[in-house]
Amino acid sequence: MIEPLTTALAVPPALPFAAPFTESLAALFTEPFTALFTEPFAVPFMARALAEIALLALICGPVSVFVFVRRLSFTSDALTHTVFPGVVVGFLAGQLFAGALVAAIVTAVALTLLTAGGRVSDDAATAVLLTAMFSIGVVLVSRRSSYTSDLTTFLFGRLLTVTPRQIAETAALAAVVLIALAVGARALLFRAFDPAGAAAAGFRIGWLDLWLNLIVALVVVAAVRAVGTILVVALLIIPAAAARMITDRLAVMAVAGTVLVAGAGYAGLLASWTASLHYGVALTSASSVVLLLVAAYLLLIPVRHLRRRRATPWERHVAHEVLTPTPRPVLEPSPPPSPLPAPSPRGRSDRQELRS
Amino acid sequence: MAALRYAGVSVGYDRTPVLTHVDLELEPGQRLILVGPNGAGKSTLIKSVLGLVPVLAGSATVLGRHPAAARGRAGYVPQIDTLDADFPVSVRQVVMMGRYRSIGWWRPARAADRRAVAEALELVGLADRAAHRFGTLSGGQRQRVLLARAIAAEPRLLLLDEPFNGVDAVSQEAIIRVLRELAAAGTALVLSTHDLTVARELADLVCLINGRQWAVGAPSATLTASRLREAYGGHAVDLPDGSTMLVEP
Repeated sequence: MIEPLTTALAVPPALPFAAPFTESLAALFTEPFTALFTEPFAVPFMARALAEIALLALICGPVSVFVFVRRLSFTSDALTHTVFPGVVVGFLAGQLFAGALVAAIVTAVALTLLTAGGRVSDDAATAVLLTAMFSIGVVLVSRRSSYTSDLTTFLFGRLLTVTPRQIAETAALAAVVLIALAVGARALLFRAFDPAGAAAAGFRIGWLDLWLNLIVALVVVAAVRAVGTILVVALLIIPAAAARMITDRLAVMAVAGTVLVAGAGYAGLLASWTASLHYGVALTSASSVVLLLVAAYLLLIPVRHLRRRRATPWERHVAHEVLTPTPRPVLEPSPPPSPLPAPSPRGRSDRQELRS
Repeated sequence: MAALRYAGVSVGYDRTPVLTHVDLELEPGQRLILVGPNGAGKSTLIKSVLGLVPVLAGSATVLGRHPAAARGRAGYVPQIDTLDADFPVSVRQVVMMGRYRSIGWWRPARAADRRAVAEALELVGLADRAAHRFGTLSGGQRQRVLLARAIAAEPRLLLLDEPFNGVDAVSQEAIIRVLRELAAAGTALVLSTHDLTVARELADLVCLINGRQWAVGAPSATLTASRLREAYGGHAVDLPDGSTMLVEP
């Protein structure tokens, strides 16, 4: 793609004074410059990191849409923290993946039961579970001599040391997550939009909540080694929240979320590589990815405002109508002034008159 | 087969009855209006028919089954203010939700599903709004979309919770017209309302409730001043001109 453009620009210029400009422009597309964007990924560990992020992007886009519409940001945050002790136990036993998986499933079930039917004050119970499990994880990891470096790995991940085996595990989890999401998507959407309506239609809300919590837990397990238990929450929340600013359509949100994570993943890895190699600045790759996601979110905020301002005349009309509702027609004559004390404003609005 | 049969039923949450002594029988094509003040138990009664609130005592059958076993068979139109207007979902998607149960988990929506959705939207007069986001519609239009969603499921029993709250006159007329058509086609209807005028206009049967069932029968026999005063307690006030005013707390 680039070659013909370079050749085209390199042909003798029509005007002599244009020569230096076109030459410098052509230089932009020559090998050393484009190499800046591709060369880092010729290094195997960078290529593996990019593949891992791409797989995560594939699942985080769609899953984050459901996290967004179900307002599960806090639950997702709790899940990432409650998986932590499982990761530590798994690591100590030499089976990090299995440990994380078991912890994820157990906590997904626990969180579903805890929040079922809005029985308890969800926030408090979830927060207690979150901090308790997180502390257990820290206690477990602090028994090791390599405490600090291990803790850093679990919390922030090691994107650059991802192995082919780990990529294969992530791919398998991604397939499970996508299938689970595809099967449950309609019911999950119905439940998110109108829980009473979905229950009346015969859907089991408790099972649907468990379904989604398990999906989120699996994403946490898939992402934990690459970006760590803390940063994974960014991948679950920001993509859909950012995509919502540019679209009203769920499918578009999912695709945009995936593109956003993939883009931030690529740019984050590149930034971290360039910073370390060319400028001697240590820049953690996973944090760069997350920071770029946050930057994308912030940059898209004005887009949302613009879209609102450009709402179709019809939508503006509706907004006006909602703010100033049409008065209901008086279907029966009003009664004469009541000798009773005036009812409260709310009572007044609710009252009905009846001719006997 | 009766669409709905309640005999001496009490319903409520956590073994605490919200509504007692309910005796109802509703045949296909009949329109039953639930009338009562706020907190009377209208929504609870509707949810008990849907199998979402347990029947604590008495015998209840919905479309020939126990309410819990009949779950998913009766259509339901919730109050619009229970839904998030900012939810990124189109009108067409909302109506399609009515078909989700019959579509099942695995297969995609078929032409028959899309046709049912289009017909339901046509019926409520919102076919031209199918692609709009649900939240951009006015309150009355949103209520009509929810009615279309229920219709798309083709239920034999349809329950509507306060369908005229926050609804403009045009939408109210549209909803009443559709409900008449549905009843004429054999759908049994249960709807709750504060609006006694609508109740009189639409009802075959009126059920007057407030914590318990106070009266059930034809509108002319139930929506009388004395019956209403009985059900509404001290909140029904006689006015000097002989009419009665209901003041809700």
